[in-house]
Formats: sequence, structure tokens, C-alpha cells
Amino acid sequence: MQSLTFSNMSKAFGGVPALADVTLNLSSGRVHALMGENGAGKSTLIKLIAGVLKPDSISVSKNGSPLPLNDARDAHEAGFRFIHQELLIVPQVSVAENILLSRDLPHRFGFAVNWNKVQAIAEEALAFLGATHIDVTLPAGDLPAGDKMMMKIAAALVSADQNEPVLYVLDEPTAALTVEESEMLFDVIERLKAKGTAILYVSHRIDEILRICDDVTVLRDGEFVTTNEISKTSKADIIEAMTGRDFKDAYPKREISIGTETIVRLKNVDTTNLHDLSFEIRAGEILGVSGLAEAGQTQLLKLFMGVGKIKSGTASFIDEELPGSPSDAWARRVAYIPRERRGEALCLDMSVRANIVLPHLSDYGFYAKPWLENKDAHKFGAKVRLKSNDVSQPVGQLSGGNQQKIVFARAIQGNPKLLLLDEPTRGVDIGAKYDIYLLVRELSARGCSVILTSTDLPEVLGMCDRVLVMHEGRQAHLLERGEMESADLLSHFYNGHQAS
Amino acid sequence: MIQKLRQSGTLLGFVLILLFFALKLPDTFLTARNLINISQQLSMLAVVAATMTIVMVMNDFDLSVGSMASLSGIVAAMIFTAGYPVWVGLSAGLLVGVLGGLFNGFLVSVVGILPFVATLGTLTVFSGMAFLLSDGKTIFGRDIPTSFSGFARSGIEIGDIKIPMLTITAGLVIFICWCILEHTNFGRRLYAIGGNKEASHLAGIKVVRLRLIAFSLTGLGAAGAGLMYAARVASANPTQGSGLMLDAIAAVFLGMTMSRRGEPKVIYTLVGVLILGVLDNGMTQLRVDSYVREILVGLIVLAAVSVSSLSKRRQS
Repeated sequence: MQSLTFSNMSKAFGGVPALADVTLNLSSGRVHALMGENGAGKSTLIKLIAGVLKPDSISVSKNGSPLPLNDARDAHEAGFRFIHQELLIVPQVSVAENILLSRDLPHRFGFAVNWNKVQAIAEEALAFLGATHIDVTLPAGDLPAGDKMMMKIAAALVSADQNEPVLYVLDEPTAALTVEESEMLFDVIERLKAKGTAILYVSHRIDEILRICDDVTVLRDGEFVTTNEISKTSKADIIEAMTGRDFKDAYPKREISIGTETIVRLKNVDTTNLHDLSFEIRAGEILGVSGLAEAGQTQLLKLFMGVGKIKSGTASFIDEELPGSPSDAWARRVAYIPRERRGEALCLDMSVRANIVLPHLSDYGFYAKPWLENKDAHKFGAKVRLKSNDVSQPVGQLSGGNQQKIVFARAIQGNPKLLLLDEPTRGVDIGAKYDIYLLVRELSARGCSVILTSTDLPEVLGMCDRVLVMHEGRQAHLLERGEMESADLLSHFYNGHQAS
Repeated sequence: MIQKLRQSGTLLGFVLILLFFALKLPDTFLTARNLINISQQLSMLAVVAATMTIVMVMNDFDLSVGSMASLSGIVAAMIFTAGYPVWVGLSAGLLVGVLGGLFNGFLVSVVGILPFVATLGTLTVFSGMAFLLSDGKTIFGRDIPTSFSGFARSGIEIGDIKIPMLTITAGLVIFICWCILEHTNFGRRLYAIGGNKEASHLAGIKVVRLRLIAFSLTGLGAAGAGLMYAARVASANPTQGSGLMLDAIAAVFLGMTMSRRGEPKVIYTLVGVLILGVLDNGMTQLRVDSYVREILVGLIVLAAVSVSSLSKRRQS
């Protein structure tokens, strides 16, 4: 068994340590989980290993002998491969070319690209991963998220000039994947393990770590807390190590019963992409929307934001028609937290304050009133337990969890009647997650109805009163609280054709 | 530290340029008369650049401002020629600007064409219209009422110094643009659109409407500058605004190197305008060949933007 040791890893930014003397021992054929809340130093650690960030100190050894690691080239030559959460692909170009992106394409006659061979290499790599269903001639942008992940892993496999991959670093690989796609990824990880590579696995999802990892290292505030074999630890231990707090129930319980007033009524609604929608939501009720990726969850939420037209059927929001545009929606106290935080929710270069008050600018009249905005930003920032006192800080500098809290602060400032949450805890650490669940409960207790989409099964079960299961844009099932108790039942609906 | 240096680099360059000319031209450069002269020369560019800032805040830009300035001058002059009073000509010129700007905004935000392509198209359209209306000739002489051209020669006297009306007009426009962008919620929304269009739309900002308004303000500014130009030279010519567009965009870019996160700001745009104007004035006095001048101005803009983008990269 080969061993790979990264020791003395330290890095400070402007005197503030982001990582302080951390040591990581990896061995071939084992999956090592790296855990910690946002800001614990996980990304810094990965960047040091990748050689893209200059360390204050680091020493690397392989089987006891030292290994140079000064830049990204060294990392590549050492056989380290990185698969990031945000998949960098060239969407217009074929899958095969994306897979061979970082190496020279095979040639014939000395100059012409040998396309048959390109495809053969790509197909071989995908076949190794068990992803033979992917058509390598398709443009990469047309693949679903899970297949894109497979493609990136295949690219990492073949990117080697000659050297074998020694270590794969997977950074939140399942963040954008559905349950089904995650299963495929876990199979791939098994194969990579069997091939004898070491795997460093970064994720916020404890359940999946407990399932697929062999060891776990926990960081907190840039410092090493513990390394343990998974079999000798527990969920509670890990959470306690991460947060420094006692383990508490991951989902706060409903304390106030659902109201009697019906806020949303949909009957036989059809749009271009959605079909057969019939449901009602009462004041304070939390409706979960789930299903495979891109089964129409986002379109359903956007329907309430006035994006998308109803073709037939009837729909109402507080006894009137649905909002006709996002500005109409906010004015009628519908708040929306989009799935893509960076793309659809935040202006990253702008301040915390500007991002919080954005939909509510008309409340401040014609002239800008920075002092009032400051006051409101502080007030609603405090309500969502935002860990930043400086409301003039650009939001791009904050962690994912804090960014999401800013989007929540924005929603709360409107004192919403209907809150639309699209994957609200994606890429958010455990501490911030719990804060977000508390907020949702709080709003629901105030009579605000909530529609929550999530591919995180425990989250749906833990938070929602009813669950709408969607399949290819169609309303497939509407499950009542009583039917939801069994996770098996629900996962059956997720997986559809897969036996569970 | 690097941030401060990056932000103040362009300003420092401006001071150095001033010092250079002050030393080279000790008798003529730093005189009240020359400075007032510069301010008057710059007034049209300042108006176009300040209103250009409004669309550039949204990450859009408008290439048609130069030909819009020519067109509005021609329209006003034709109305003067037809014997209508001055206010009718002025209103018509400005109205053309608003309509042209609205058309740009319509193409960009409703039809969804890239601003580069849309305003490149309207640049040609406006220019063609100016030629068509004027028959390619310069309108001058008795057709231009003296009350119109007199405006450009008049000023407000403070002691021995006469501040030209054109300078005052430019100052007013800059002040209004500054108020709009920095102190109204309208301006805040434009900055948000520049920060993230999709997020702004989903946060309930009426992106289409605001872009229409912003483009029509830029058109209005261009038309205003065209009228100022026509008054100053007491004539209207279908090409007289054509130099304004590149200089205005260059001024906004120079200004963007000074702001904290690289966003356009009216005050910094004004500094950009001053840099271009001072360079032009100083080099003319030093009898630098006008072609050499163009090369130098282009290189200086590139240098400022390069330094800014390099130091930004170092930062991240």
C-alpha cells in the first residue's frame, strides 16, 4: 500500500491564518473525507495540494521519500487530479474533445486529428467508469449534470501524459447531482479505489461520507481537529468536531400548526414545460418539491415569480392571479431564493447592503438613502445570523453559507407571504444550514407559505409538510406527511426505475 | 495598499501630465485663460462621456453617440433654416436624441441584440440620416440665428474671469448625471443591472424598462453635445460629432481604473475627460503633430487600463 503525506501545511492571508500546521495522511485504495464548516480551511488545503496557492509551508512525501510541490505542474506530474464542484467545461465542444482537453489530440498523417481515435480514447475512459450511456459526439453542454461529472472524471483519467493518477481530489462532487447521479458517482469512486488510487473527498453531506469514505479528517478554523477511521466514529462525533458544539437534531421541528387560509391554488395547470399541476398550499405550510434533476422544480418556482405563462388551468395566489413579473411578485410579497446563488441571486462585486435591499429599493423612495439601507442591512443581517459586521463588504468575499444568508435577509426584508426556495442549502456548511432551517421554520410560524425544492432527501423529510414529486415536468405524486415517514418509499419515487 | 495605488495611479498620471506641461509651457499652460479654454473645448466631450457613463454602468455602451450629435445639430439647423424660433430647433434636436436613444434601448433590451452590434448599426443609420437631411453640406451663415451661436460665446463674469456658458452647461450635466447615478434608487438599480442582470431581473428590477430609459438619457446627452458643438462653431455639419464617441468611451475607461471595484463613476469619468483634454491642449501648444498625438493618447489609455488590470489580477 502506498502512502502520501502532506505535512506542515500552513497558509495565512494578510497575517490571518487560513490553515495552520495541518497534516494529512492518505493511502492508496482508501477514500479520505475532508470535512469542516465553510471557512475551516478546506479550499485553502486543496489549493495548496494543487500547487495553485503559494504555501507558507508544506512538505509532501510519498512512501517516505520527499516529493517536490512548488506549482501546479509539480502537482500534475506527481499524479494529483482535481475535480471541482463547479465543472469547468467547454459546452459547445463534443464530450470526446472535452475529455481530451488537457492533452494533445492523436494525429494521423502527422497533422490531421484522428477523430476515430479521439472518440475511442474517450469511450474507453467512460467505459472504465461504467458510463457507457454517454454519447461522446454530443456537445458537452447538452449533458445532464451527473454525466458532466463523469466526463470530468474521465478527463482526469486520461489527462495524464504518461504518469498514472495517484490521488483524486473531489471537491463537493455531489452538490449538483441528483440521488441517482450520486449513486453512479459512488460506483465510480469504488472503481478508482480498486485501481489503487487515493481519494480525497470533500463534502458537506455527512450521510454520504459515512457511506463511502474510509477515513475522515476534520478541520475547524484552519486547524486540524481529528483524523479517524469512519468505522470508529459517528455522525454525532463528526458534527461535534466540525462545529465544536454538541450534536443537535439536524432539522428543527414544526412547533406551530399550519394555518387555515389557502394561499396558493393550482388546478390542472399546464405551461410549456410543466403539466398537470394541481395543489393547494395553506398559510405557513412547507411544500417540498422533489424529483430527478431538472424535472421542472425550478420552472415551478419561477411560475410564481411571473416567469413562464400558464396555458390552461387555473392558478391563484391569495385569491388573485399569479404575479406577472418578478417585480410584481416581490411587490405582492413573494420572495425567491434561486438555485444559482452566483448567477441568479447576487451581484458579487457589490456590497452586502446593496444585495440585501435590492428588491426593496422602491421602499426607499426616489432618492437613495444609504443610512436607512445600512440600518436595514444590519437589522436583517442580524436576523439571519450573518457573520459579517461590515455591510459595505463585497459579497464575493464571503463564504457560501454567508452568501446564502444574504439572500435570505433579502427575502425576509419583504416580510413574505410566499417563500420560494430552490435548493436553499446547496454548498452551505452545517452550522449555516441549521440557521437556515430555523429561519424557514420561523417564517412558516409567522404564516408564510414555503415551497422548497431539494435533492437532499433527509432535508425534504425533515422540513416539509407535504412533498410534490415531479417527473419530467409532470406532477407525479403528492405525498402527505403520513406517507412520508418512510424514506424508502420516497427514494423509490426518486429512483423511478431503479430497485431500491 | 496595492488597491490604493491602483486606484490613484491614473490620478497620479494626471498630476504628472499637468506638471510636465506646466514646466514645458510656463507662460501659457497654467493660466486662467488657457484653463478656461480647455474647459470650453472639453464641454461637449464631458457631456457625452457623463451620459455615456449611465449606460456603461450597466455594462452596456453606445457607439452611436457621435453620429447622434451630428444628427441633432443638423436637425436643429434645418429647423432654424425653415424660420422657426430657436427653442423649436433646440427641442427638436433634443427630441431626436431621446428617440434615437430609445431606439437603441429597444434594440438592446427588447429585441436583445448585443449593444456593440445594435449601436454600430444605429451609428450608421444616424450618420446616414444626417447626410440625407443636410444633403451632405454644412449649414452655416445667416441660417444659424445669432441668439443660438451667441450662447456659446457668452459666459458669466466673475471678476476678470468669464466662465463660458458651455462650461457651465457641461458642469450642470455632470452634476445631474452624478445625482442620478449616485443618489437615486434609479442609479442604484442601474449599478445592480451591471453587477448581475439575471439576478437583478429575478430580484424584481424592471431591467427592460431601465435599459430603455438609460439609453434614451445617453441619446439625450449626445444630442445636447451636438447642439453645443453647432452653437460653438455656428454651423452644422453631418460629420462634426464623429470624434466624440471614441474619446467618450476612452474617458469612461480611464475613469474605471480609478474606482474601487472597476465600476464606472461620473466623477472619475470627468477626470478621464480632463486627462484627454489636457493632453490635447498641451500637445497642440507644444506643436506635436496631430497624428503623433493620436498615437500617444491611445497608448496612454492602454497603459492606464493595463496597469489597472494587472494590479487587479495580482490582488486576487
